[in-house]
Amino acid sequence: MGILDKKLSLRNRNKMIVGVWEDEDALMDATSEISHKGIAIHDIYTPYPVHGLDRIIGVKRSKLARVAFFCGLTGLILMTTMIYYMYVIDWPINVGNKPVRFTPSWIPVMFEGMVLCTAYGMGFFFFWRNRMLFGVKNDLLDERQTDDRMVMAVELSDSINEQDLISTMKNKGAVEVREFHHGVQTVI
Amino acid sequence: MGHGHHIEIKQENFVIPAKAKTFTIILMLLGLVLTGIGIANQKSHSGSSHNSHATAENTTEKHETPAHGEAADHSEHAAASEHGAASHAEEHHNVETENFGPRMEYHEQDKPWTTKIWANLLVAGYFFTMVSLCALFWYAIQYAANAGWSVTIKRVPEAIFTFIPVAFVVLFVAVLLGKNDLYHWAHYEHLGLKPTDAGYDRILDGKSGFLNTKMLFILPVILIAIWVFIGHKLRGLSLAEDTASKGDVTFFKKSIRFSAAFLVIFGFTISIIAWLFIMSVDAHWYSTIFGVYNFATSWVSAIAVITLTVMYLKNQGYLGLVNQEHMHDLGKFMFAFTVFWTYIWLFQYLLIWYAQIPEEMMYYQIRYENYKPYFLANFFINFVTPFVFLLMRSAKRNSKIMVIIPALLVVGHYFDVWFMVIPGVFGPNQHIGILEVGIFLVFSGLFAFWILNNLTKRGLVAVNHPYLEESVYHDTGV
Repeated sequence: MGILDKKLSLRNRNKMIVGVWEDEDALMDATSEISHKGIAIHDIYTPYPVHGLDRIIGVKRSKLARVAFFCGLTGLILMTTMIYYMYVIDWPINVGNKPVRFTPSWIPVMFEGMVLCTAYGMGFFFFWRNRMLFGVKNDLLDERQTDDRMVMAVELSDSINEQDLISTMKNKGAVEVREFHHGVQTVI
Repeated sequence: MGHGHHIEIKQENFVIPAKAKTFTIILMLLGLVLTGIGIANQKSHSGSSHNSHATAENTTEKHETPAHGEAADHSEHAAASEHGAASHAEEHHNVETENFGPRMEYHEQDKPWTTKIWANLLVAGYFFTMVSLCALFWYAIQYAANAGWSVTIKRVPEAIFTFIPVAFVVLFVAVLLGKNDLYHWAHYEHLGLKPTDAGYDRILDGKSGFLNTKMLFILPVILIAIWVFIGHKLRGLSLAEDTASKGDVTFFKKSIRFSAAFLVIFGFTISIIAWLFIMSVDAHWYSTIFGVYNFATSWVSAIAVITLTVMYLKNQGYLGLVNQEHMHDLGKFMFAFTVFWTYIWLFQYLLIWYAQIPEEMMYYQIRYENYKPYFLANFFINFVTPFVFLLMRSAKRNSKIMVIIPALLVVGHYFDVWFMVIPGVFGPNQHIGILEVGIFLVFSGLFAFWILNNLTKRGLVAVNHPYLEESVYHDTGV
């Protein structure tokens, strides 16, 4: 996963400010406040979906649907080719004088093959893009973001006032604020 | 929820707009006029074809296909003889073939001209019974699945399923009056033939334990009574919840129990209605998937009717709590079950095709060979169009598409039921005419009026439902 891994890994980004919340309402308030200041939030990691967060931080619509379309198309073509080769070219069988070329019995095969490829393809690309495939070194900002904590990561740039950001996070109920740089975390 | 905007929840009371009242009444009147013209047409047409021997022969010959090789022989026989029991018995004898048992042979001329009215009433009654039933099914599913998103629109199916008894009466009357002409087996039952008699039909005799007049009249009434009772109970609970104190979940819990019971009963018994009323039109034919197919048809239509009603109320400025998120979910429901319908539509054929049962092909043979445009139209209206138009996310959130497609689906699935019945009753040369359109208009007008009228009877918002807030802030994501 070489290139993508490097580009997407949090280790290879600028210094980040990481806030940890225990309560989703407080997190929601903090998120609105920070985005109103014009600060771009890199991402928020929550153990379960928090409705409305995606709109506040301006998450773009996922391209997974398009991936699904192409996976489905691949499956359809693959299965059609396969069954055409088997039924027509390699080993035509006379079943009760039914036609050998395109017959209704091809439809389930094509359909199910399409569904199979779509499901596996979407699963694969989803995990790939989210860096959750086997063998990818994942960078959990907090072990408990998969359990009961919500973690916000803001990538610092020249336009962001670091001290202001940290104090906003603390005022808005962050139980912990840390700094994350090249894989090293320091509590502030 | 802590995000900035707060949505105020308040009760809404629906009043039928004068326009809607006039529109539904005009629809019914127009339908009645068309039905009248259709009936008059039918009567005069049937009179002429009965009187002249030549016309009858021509009609049959024109539609002669390899599948109906004996048609020429028959036309003479059919036109010459009266509609006596003996003639029917002999026909069966004639078409008995060694391998496949007796095959259905169709003679429109044999049937009295009123048959067409009963057949169309059967279609209308059956379709609207099933649609209202499926609205109840939809309602029960929401409770059984603990669904939160649908609470803001739950009054809509609640109004729709009150139509079950009305539609069922129509269905029942149509069957009561037209039984012997609609159902081949009912006619056969009267003959009371023994295995040694000429014209004995072993398939119909084998089915007579289930397919008999007593079953036809008693079983559906019992089933409908059970369903209507549960529906009535659910409606009562829903109204009681409105007047109870906030936070009282006893009605909610009771509704879940009734819904679960309904789902089990419905799941096991819905096919019986389809077998008795529709599948028995082709009395010699078996299809194990037929109940599912009929369920799919009416289920899609029920979702479409719910969507249409929601969109109408929204257009009139009601249902302020319903937004694009709910529309999107209704669209997904509709899209998914359109595909489901197609799956069953195809697989009903595939089961027969795979299993090499040529004698079961007669259902498809007549529909494909003599009604090809209708057969293809069914597929295009009920699958291709909704599939293409509902596929995109933006389409499911578009208030125009979400009116046009459900409307198309309701018409399309009504036509689907028509297509299950008519070729089975009349044979190869039928068309959609004034009578069909008229009856459809009458009943859709009545249905619409009934729904709107029932919506006025209680507030549009289930204010004390425990999941109301979840539904108000429902979000399907970016």
